[in-house]
Parts: sequence; C-alpha cells; structure tokens
Amino acid sequence: MRRYGFPFPIPRDAVYSWAKPLKLPERGPVMLYTGALYQLTPYIASVVEQLSAIEGSRVSSLALKLSGILSSLGVSRLIVRPKGDMASLVEKILRSIVALLEGAGVKVAYPYEDDMYSGVILYDLGLDDIFKEQAVKVYKTLKSRGAEYIVTVDPHTTHIMRSVYPKYVDGYDLKVESYLEILAERGVEFKGGPREGGVVIHDPCLYARFENVVEQPRRLLSAAGFEVLEPRRSRRMTYCCGGPIEGLTPRMAKTIAKTRLEELRERSKTVVTLCPICYTNLKAVAGGEVEVVDIALLLAGVKP
Amino acid sequence: MTFNSLQAFQEIWDALSDEEFQEALRKASHISQVRVEELLAERRELVEVCREAVEAKRRSVDTLRDLIDVAYRSLESVKAKPYYAESAEEARKIIGGIVGSGKLVVMAKSMAAAEIELRGYLESLGNEVWETDLGELLVQLEGSRPMHTITPAVHMTRFKALKLISEKLGVKLRGDSIEEAVGAVREFLRGKIVKADVGISGANALAADTGAIVLVENESNIRLVTSTPPIHIALVPVDKIVPTLLDAVKVSIVQAAYAGLYPPTYINIIAGPSSTADIERVRVYGAQGPRELHVVLIDNGRMKALKNPLLREHLRCIRCGRCQYECPVWVHTANKWGGPAYGGPMGLVWTAITVDPIEAGKLSYLCLGCGRCDASCPMEIPLSTIIRHLKSLASRGSLE
Repeated sequence: MRRYGFPFPIPRDAVYSWAKPLKLPERGPVMLYTGALYQLTPYIASVVEQLSAIEGSRVSSLALKLSGILSSLGVSRLIVRPKGDMASLVEKILRSIVALLEGAGVKVAYPYEDDMYSGVILYDLGLDDIFKEQAVKVYKTLKSRGAEYIVTVDPHTTHIMRSVYPKYVDGYDLKVESYLEILAERGVEFKGGPREGGVVIHDPCLYARFENVVEQPRRLLSAAGFEVLEPRRSRRMTYCCGGPIEGLTPRMAKTIAKTRLEELRERSKTVVTLCPICYTNLKAVAGGEVEVVDIALLLAGVKP
Repeated sequence: MTFNSLQAFQEIWDALSDEEFQEALRKASHISQVRVEELLAERRELVEVCREAVEAKRRSVDTLRDLIDVAYRSLESVKAKPYYAESAEEARKIIGGIVGSGKLVVMAKSMAAAEIELRGYLESLGNEVWETDLGELLVQLEGSRPMHTITPAVHMTRFKALKLISEKLGVKLRGDSIEEAVGAVREFLRGKIVKADVGISGANALAADTGAIVLVENESNIRLVTSTPPIHIALVPVDKIVPTLLDAVKVSIVQAAYAGLYPPTYINIIAGPSSTADIERVRVYGAQGPRELHVVLIDNGRMKALKNPLLREHLRCIRCGRCQYECPVWVHTANKWGGPAYGGPMGLVWTAITVDPIEAGKLSYLCLGCGRCDASCPMEIPLSTIIRHLKSLASRGSLE
C-alpha cells in the first residue's frame, strides 16, 4: 500500500484515463476528486474472484488473510487484472457525472495523475497510522492544485473526505460535497432518455446513515421521470450490500448481498445503486433477471 | 477465560452452511425487526422513556465509582448481602462459596452467568443445576450457548427444540405441538424449582438509592426462581447500577421494548430478602420468599473500560439485543460471532471489555461498518466507531 498508493497494484493511468478526452482544467478551486474508488472496482472484482477460489478451504485461508492483510494488505500479491466490461462501464459513469455537473452549471477541475486513493480501506481496517499519512498526502496534493471545494462521486470517499479527514489532518479546510448533493441543490436539466417506470433505490450505508444524503437521489430520480420505489429497509435503516467484507470473506459478503437483492427485487427489477461497491456486490448476485444500474447513468440517460 | 478467535471463525463458517440455523435466524430477525419498528411507531411514549433512560445511564457511567458505594450501603440497609467480584473467577468463587456442593440450583436466564461461565462451574462443584428460561434450558440441553441475548434458542427450529425436550428430559411428546412441549417443560421445571436450595438470577438494573433489583420477563420463571428457594443470588455487573429505582424501571422497560416485548408480562422489583413483622412487630427474614439475598457485583473489566473514552460509552448497553437482530452479519452467525458469551455488535465490545480486546478486534474484521447498529441502539452507543477502534487495536497488535 505504501509503495503503490492503492490497496493493490494497478496501472497509474487506470485512475484518470477516463478523463483524458474531456481535457478538464488540472487546477482550480472546484475540484472533482474521485478517490479512485469507482476505478478500483474492476480490479476489486477480479481480486474477489480469486479470493473466492481460495476461500473454499474455509478457515485456513481466512487465518492467512487475517495475518497477511494486517501486515501488508496481503492481497497486493495477487495477480490483478481488471474486468474489462466493468472498466468501460466505470468510464461511462464518471463521464456522465461530469456531464451532469456541467448541465447544472458546475465546471470542475480534475487533478488527473493526482487523483489519488483516499485510503478508505486503511481507515476501515483501523490502520490509523498509514491512513493518516495517506490523508495528509491527499490533502496537500489537492491544495497544491488550488482546490477549495471538493466534489466527490461515491459515498465512501464523501464520508472520508468530509467527516474523517478533519480528524486526521491538521488545519483541514476543504469543503466536500457529493455530486448528488450539488445536483439536487442546483437543479439539473435532464437530457437523453427515455426515462420511465419504477426503480427501486438501494441507499448506501454511508450516505444514508453518516452523511445525510437520503432525499437528494430520490428528488433527482423523480425529477428525471422515474418512479422511486422503496424497499422494506431503506433510508436511515438501509441494509448493507455486504461489500465492505468482500476482501476478507467473499462468501459472507455474497450471502448478505443475496439477502439484500431479494428484498430489492420484490419492489422492482431495476435496482439503482449510488456506490461502486454496492453496484459490484449486488450485480454479482443479480443474475440476468434483475438489472443493477448506477444512478449517474440513469440521470444522464446513458445506456450501461 | 481463554478464547480463540480463529476457532470462532471456524464455527461461523460451519454455520453459514447450516440451512436450519440460517432459516431459523432469518425468520426470527425478520419478526423482531418488524415488531420493534411497529411498536416504536405505535407507542411514541416509549421513545420518550428511552430518552430518559439514556440520560440515566449517562449519569450512571459518569458517577459509577460513587454509585457502587451507594448501592453497597443500600443493599446492606435492606438486609441483602453485597459482594464485589473483580474478575469472573472471583465471582465464581464467591457464588461457589454461597452455594456449596450437593445442592439443587435453579437459574433464571442471565448473560452475566454466561459471562462468568457459572453453570459449568457449579456443576463441577457437584451441584445439580437447571436453567428455567425455556430458551436457555434448550441451550443447556443442547450443550451449546445462548445465540441471542434475549432469545437464546433463536437458532433452533421447532423440530430441534421438541427433539431436545423429549430426548434429554425424558418426557413423552405425542405430536409436534409447541404447547404440549411448553407444558411438559413447565411440569418438569416446577418439580425442580419447588425443591431447589438456591435460585440464581441476573438483573436488568440495580437502583443505588434503594438497593432494589429490577428484573423484566414474560415467562414468570424469574418470579419463581427469585422467590421460591430459600436463597437467592443475584448477579449484577456493575454497569447495571443506576442512581434511582425509577431509573431502574425505565431502563428495564426500554430493554423489553427494544427487544420487541412490550408491555413485558412481569416487572419484578426485589429489595432485600422476604420478611414479616406480623407477630409482635419482630422482623423475621424468610417469610414466603427467600430468607437470604446475596448480590454479587461483577467488575470483570468494566472499571478498566471506564478509563477508555470509547469503551466507556458501551457501559450504557442494556443488552436488549436489538443491534444483533439488525446486524447484517449477525443474522447469519448469531452469537457464534462476537465472543464466548455475548455476540454481534454489542458482543464484540463486551468481549473486548470482559475477555480480550485483541481477540475481539480480530473478530471485528467481519464488521461491515455499515452503522445499522448505531442507528438501532436505544442507548445511543456509537457501536461501529467502537468496533473500528477494536480493529485498530488488533491491527496494531498484529503489526508489533
């Protein structure tokens, strides 16, 4: 992790190649910062597949991981290739987000090769010292590019940047908002289409319980023409997709994802996710019958 | 207590493939979630009582050292005999000393008893010991341990429960009727309770001002166990001490409500042994109820936790078990995940306090950090934050 800046080795430009054709300004006060979570998901999916294979031997692999993951985030020794179809999907999602922001009159800068990983997994695992190093590095880098106002694209990075970094970085002064909050506040003109029918919303835990991003996605989906359906457990009492433990135990993560997907599909065959981790986990158990779609694509009217 | 998290992971893995276990948990957690949600929507006054109970618990934790002294004196003034046990081992010794050997002991469900591994210890001294809460009895018959704080046999289907009752208690059940099984257990246990030398209970709360113990229940086994035998021993972890009797009742009501049991069928208030002064106003102890009441205050890591700013928050926990039923991981593992006695989100923290923070930290890696426990906890305990802190302890432990 210290060596690569990521939980496992990925090509550096995999994080920002999506934005190359957009030629966004590389400095500026309003800065889009993805924290690379979306871009990492194709790699995470690949790692999880490999972990699933060794998890067959039950506790032994878990024991190895428990000792390995803590000392070095041992997954970095696995061979990591992205799942191709997902990589192009992630490009579409991130470009849609930029288009939506532009549609709402928000022009963002983007730090390209400095769009670093925020250190979410370090924080989740309680590796506070390494996390703090990463947090300070990310903060300084963003500041050096003139950032004052950070626009985030996923709940984990939003939470980390808004509610966690201030506790670890002295003098932290970045204002952080998710693009969904910005769009809901400013209003957005929806292009493309058609948009109709009922979609069931899956609130990500961090937005719903920690960052109070609950009504914004609903307002946006409704404004775009969708009927927003609620699963039994939604809003503040939303139910996790299982994702956070997929690296430790894909089997348990899948069991939890299945429980959640069953509940969602009772309301609609189209499930909207607001987080790349939720997307990956629910998608993995969805089969062909249920469609899992990222909210950015629905709002932008872009086919997955 | 020795506890190995790797062995626990093995058990969790096996449980994931146990379809009967999974099905029983799925049903129970669904029923509980819906029940509590409806209850709180219907009876807004409970939310108010809960708010007051949280305040009472905050005050208790802030003044715990003093409260223990006050409670000690109050217990003596109502002729109960207080003890202070610093560790689980000390608690077992104190209780073993009171009970002795060759006795018939009946127990009302107590997580504190599970925490100090009391039943096995009393049996090892040569006593006959019976659990009287039906779920706890099933767990005793199965040779396992409570899988939920309030509903210990949550993991068992009807088939499993009836089989245990008929095989282990030697009662003949004609069909698969739950009513018949409950009736048979009632007859069996009454035989034991009437003859018992000692009754052992836990406590939902202990009021420092009066030395009164409050116990909430539905089965009435606590009533019988605490009033029929001549000796009653109450196990009271020190975090259960609250300033006043009114606080104690509020805490107990909240515990029942957030477990989905409201109104509770019984609330017992016990302040000292039974007595009468009806003849010449001479007070004699041991009227119809016990003549001796022993109250064992159990520290077992709690006073140390008081010094940790995060673990301290957990001393408000009233063991309603709501965080367990609401946790996406717990609903697939029950108390197999969390530690040797307590399970799920609150269990991880109790394990850190009463057993070993590093082992609890290792188990904590299964926590999603999703925060449903935070949102469910009536005592406003920041569970996911504390659990992340435990992970951090384990990470540091493994890095050293």
